[in-house]
Amino acid sequence: MNPVYTPLRELSMGVRSGEVSPVELAEAFLERLETHGPTLNAVVTLTKERAMKQAKRAEEEIKEGKMRGPLHGVPWGGKDLLATAGIPTTWGAAPFRDQVFEGDATVVARLDEAGAVLAAKLAMIELAGGMGYRQPNASFTGPCATPWSPRHWSGGSSSGSGAAVAAGLVPFAVGSETWGSILSPANNCGVAGLRPTYGRVSRHGAMALSWTLDKLGPLCLTADDCGIVLEAIAGHDPRDMSTSKRLYRYVLKRDGLRVAVPKGVTDGAAEPVRRGFDDAMRVVEGFAEVEEIEFPEFPYGAVTRTILNAEAAAAFDEFTERGLAQGLTAPECRYGPYAKTAVLAVDYLKALRLRERMARIAEDVMTGYDAVAAPSRATTVPRIDEEFRKSTPGTAKDVMGALGNGAGLPAISVPSGFDGEGLPTGIQFMGRAYGENRVLSVAVEYQSRTGWHEVHPERFTP
Amino acid sequence: MDSEAEKLFTLVKERYGDRISPDELEEVRKAVERIVESSQDLRELELGNGDEPFNVFKPYRREGE
Repeated sequence: MNPVYTPLRELSMGVRSGEVSPVELAEAFLERLETHGPTLNAVVTLTKERAMKQAKRAEEEIKEGKMRGPLHGVPWGGKDLLATAGIPTTWGAAPFRDQVFEGDATVVARLDEAGAVLAAKLAMIELAGGMGYRQPNASFTGPCATPWSPRHWSGGSSSGSGAAVAAGLVPFAVGSETWGSILSPANNCGVAGLRPTYGRVSRHGAMALSWTLDKLGPLCLTADDCGIVLEAIAGHDPRDMSTSKRLYRYVLKRDGLRVAVPKGVTDGAAEPVRRGFDDAMRVVEGFAEVEEIEFPEFPYGAVTRTILNAEAAAAFDEFTERGLAQGLTAPECRYGPYAKTAVLAVDYLKALRLRERMARIAEDVMTGYDAVAAPSRATTVPRIDEEFRKSTPGTAKDVMGALGNGAGLPAISVPSGFDGEGLPTGIQFMGRAYGENRVLSVAVEYQSRTGWHEVHPERFTP
Repeated sequence: MDSEAEKLFTLVKERYGDRISPDELEEVRKAVERIVESSQDLRELELGNGDEPFNVFKPYRREGE
């Protein structure tokens, strides 16, 4: 079997049946990472030694009939903000390029337990974009390209996680989102990216940008793959006090799906995005009841932005005080942290107080719906060599991002087509808190009726 | 420039101004203005005395003690 661009269920069946072995998989994907990773700037560190050791172990276990689950023997890549024992964890930032932790992040340990094989640490925007980057060249590994075009950006901050999956360098990856960092690369690279509910996945061992906004989640070829990976990484962790004790099992709802579309959701969006979204919604209307909703006027952006600014300033206080920002790649990131220190404590607390009101608004408006649909991004994919505001100007407010991240709600982005330049567009489905299975149900059904996830960039197709 | 933003910018400049160029300082000024604009948006909404921050602090005690 050719494992490249093979969804996880099929890949797992191949491993289980012996059609392909974990060692063969590891070798195949390590070779692709080595060959194609540098052309995209998608890889920071190849974890070859660890991967081969894990793959051999998986192979022995499977031969003995001990199949751990659907990820057993399957290679994956982790955003380089996940701690890995003895392997550098750079946070995408030059000042941390030699940083090595003693232990693994919980999510890495959980995937180890599931038998998955860590093949690479993947590129990311420096410090997960917390210093206010305005262009793709904001990582010490260089700007990461979408596999669809060397002249366009992969999205960020989980840049390599999106690009590596889209180029078939790993079957799946794990990224993080504080505000947009999973959905953006999923959109720009034409893959599925799931932002789980805040607290669903432990962040222990992951770089903190904003303690009350950070989430870890999978980027995969399909929505179904995202559900499989989420089940492996979700769960309570005593080392991350934000984690929920609610159990997560990936189960789809097949009938009676209801999808809401916020009024004016494409206002200010680029024309190809608006067109792509309208086409996608026609597909959704074929299997779900679709209704228009309206989120009331509320300073969604101000609430989430204030929390993010204050927490990022605090999380990187020592870094800022020691002048280490000067070592960052993007010029704007070198002075970015200073302004954030101007958030007053009372304003930060007010934002946290308003967050409850915001979460209640979301719950009131979204009750009765399995998902709220919107374009994943309002703009088309930015160029790799220009500031965002120059290459993709736009006036659209990211209400879905501000509300979704501020209230800690799950969302998935899946590909919905291509613009006139052959670059991917995406549709996002956002759910109520702990409603991952509902958004996955809508996304899986959508993908069963579309073929966008089965189209891959030609130059990476074996 | 809003006087609040001006004062906060002065504070930031006092703390970090020696590390950055005049052009960068101008960018910091704009960023401070945006932060103050966000804060002012928040202040337009009224909250009651009992409206608590939406985060959970759990008092810590070592297990078994």
